[in-house]
Amino acid sequence: MKVSFFETARYLPPRPLPTEWPVASGAYDTEAGAAAYRGMIERLRHVEELGFDWISVSEHHYSPRILTPSPIVAAAFLAAHLRRITIALLGPIVPHSNPVRVAEELAMLDTMTEGRLVVGLLRGTANEAMTYDLNPEEARERTDEGMALILKAWTEPEPFGWQGRHFQYRTVSIWPRPRQQPHPPTFALGTSRESLTFAARHRLGCGVSYGPFEVMGRATAYYREQCARHGWTPAPEQIVYRANMLLADTDEAAHALLRAQSGEAPFSMRAGVRAAVAAVDARNIAGEARSAVVTGALPTTFIGSPDTVVEQVRRCRELTGCGVIDLSLHPPGSTDLGPLTRALELFGTKVLPRLREI
Amino acid sequence: MSDVGSRIDAVEVGGRRIRYAETGRGPVLVHLAGGRGSALTPAHGLLARRFRVLAFEAPAPDGDASEALVTGLAAAMQRLGVESFDLIGSSASAAMAVALAARAHDRVRALVLESPPALDATRPDPALARGLGQLATPTLVLFGTEDTTVPADTGRRYKALVPGSHLVFVYAASHAIAADRPEAFVEVVSDFLERHEAFVVSRTRTVILP
Repeated sequence: MKVSFFETARYLPPRPLPTEWPVASGAYDTEAGAAAYRGMIERLRHVEELGFDWISVSEHHYSPRILTPSPIVAAAFLAAHLRRITIALLGPIVPHSNPVRVAEELAMLDTMTEGRLVVGLLRGTANEAMTYDLNPEEARERTDEGMALILKAWTEPEPFGWQGRHFQYRTVSIWPRPRQQPHPPTFALGTSRESLTFAARHRLGCGVSYGPFEVMGRATAYYREQCARHGWTPAPEQIVYRANMLLADTDEAAHALLRAQSGEAPFSMRAGVRAAVAAVDARNIAGEARSAVVTGALPTTFIGSPDTVVEQVRRCRELTGCGVIDLSLHPPGSTDLGPLTRALELFGTKVLPRLREI
Repeated sequence: MSDVGSRIDAVEVGGRRIRYAETGRGPVLVHLAGGRGSALTPAHGLLARRFRVLAFEAPAPDGDASEALVTGLAAAMQRLGVESFDLIGSSASAAMAVALAARAHDRVRALVLESPPALDATRPDPALARGLGQLATPTLVLFGTEDTTVPADTGRRYKALVPGSHLVFVYAASHAIAADRPEAFVEVVSDFLERHEAFVVSRTRTVILP
């Protein structure tokens, strides 16, 4: 099993924050922001020493909870400070951006890191669409077209035009091309039938997140079926499972950490906005409608002592077939880094070495 | 101006005669203009495609939003048979619109303030500040990016005083937003009046080719 550390750039607010999303940017503290990025590098140097395989960053907006609105900028910064570890860009929200620009920037990153890049492409949740005024109902089709265009831009050697539905170019010919040929290991992230089908059709990896192993296993089973239909079999490392983990010396201590969490999402949208977002939420798990949860904390599926967690990872592997787990070791948005530091130490010494045999 | 016809009339409020023009069909939209005169504008013509627009001249061009005037205006709406309505207050008349929305909160569905007056910290308008604090109506505040009549921080002051309100800057518009960019004004106003806070979720289509 490969292990990835999900880095969110921990912003520690010097003052209480507003609770509504989008969070008023006037509440941002410039010093705390700078400290968050400095702290990120210190932490990730340690993560690299502990032997993690990947560091992942993601794209989220208008909130201090995950302070990487441009994951590409974050990845470039990390790559310049870290020598060995693979940078997993999980990932650019495709429908927001100019796909050719994304293809160019990722090719640059892959080249600058000498091929230490893996890429996850995704649609993003309906609320993220609001940040760049994207119609959430179009997000899926823009994502599919954007991903197809990114792959084409990476691999087509002659200048080409693109006559799409949402994107139109008369000529595309990117420089540099990716260091890894034909392109960096790429995942279509998401549990939806659409995303999994796209991954299978284009021979990409898939990534599922946060749900119970059995439920995520239904998504990955669907993915493998689709891959078979397209005449290939994905390797375990082409299936990523992102999850929250609460790790402590004992099961009791880990559950105490969970009880200490509020169970609510740290920043909530106004009721009318939440309802409008829920109305256009098209998320599903391999085609099975998924309740449109747009509030509430994300579940924690790995919890307990090192022994317990190792068994849970084993079970996760059995049920989802994943070969990479991408872990948030303490909920992003918490204002105390103590538990994260302790969990990281414990994970590095007592868990990580035992995951290699799984 | 409107393609659906219009008429001019007036209401009596506290011995004062306030002219208004009416055009369009649909839910009632009351506009309190910033100045005297009840001429319909291109923006009214666009709004008339979706609303029954009652465009009033400024009830008090000096921005007076006295209790008597507000009560009188609310009563005048009732005499016109207007039960519930959307409300736009422009410039100095924004104070009156705020007072009316605060008083008749069960009848004003949503409120739009177009280039409302500066909220001067040294010379505060107590009636306006009180009205803003009492607002329980979905509220949209609009400022033009080229508005030189109020300090640049005026929008954020309104936003801070009315929790849950929305602030939108209309690019390349002066104080007279609706006159400078009627289509841009009408699009955001109509969307807000229809969807209130849910208007932050875009419905814009980006398909170039089917």
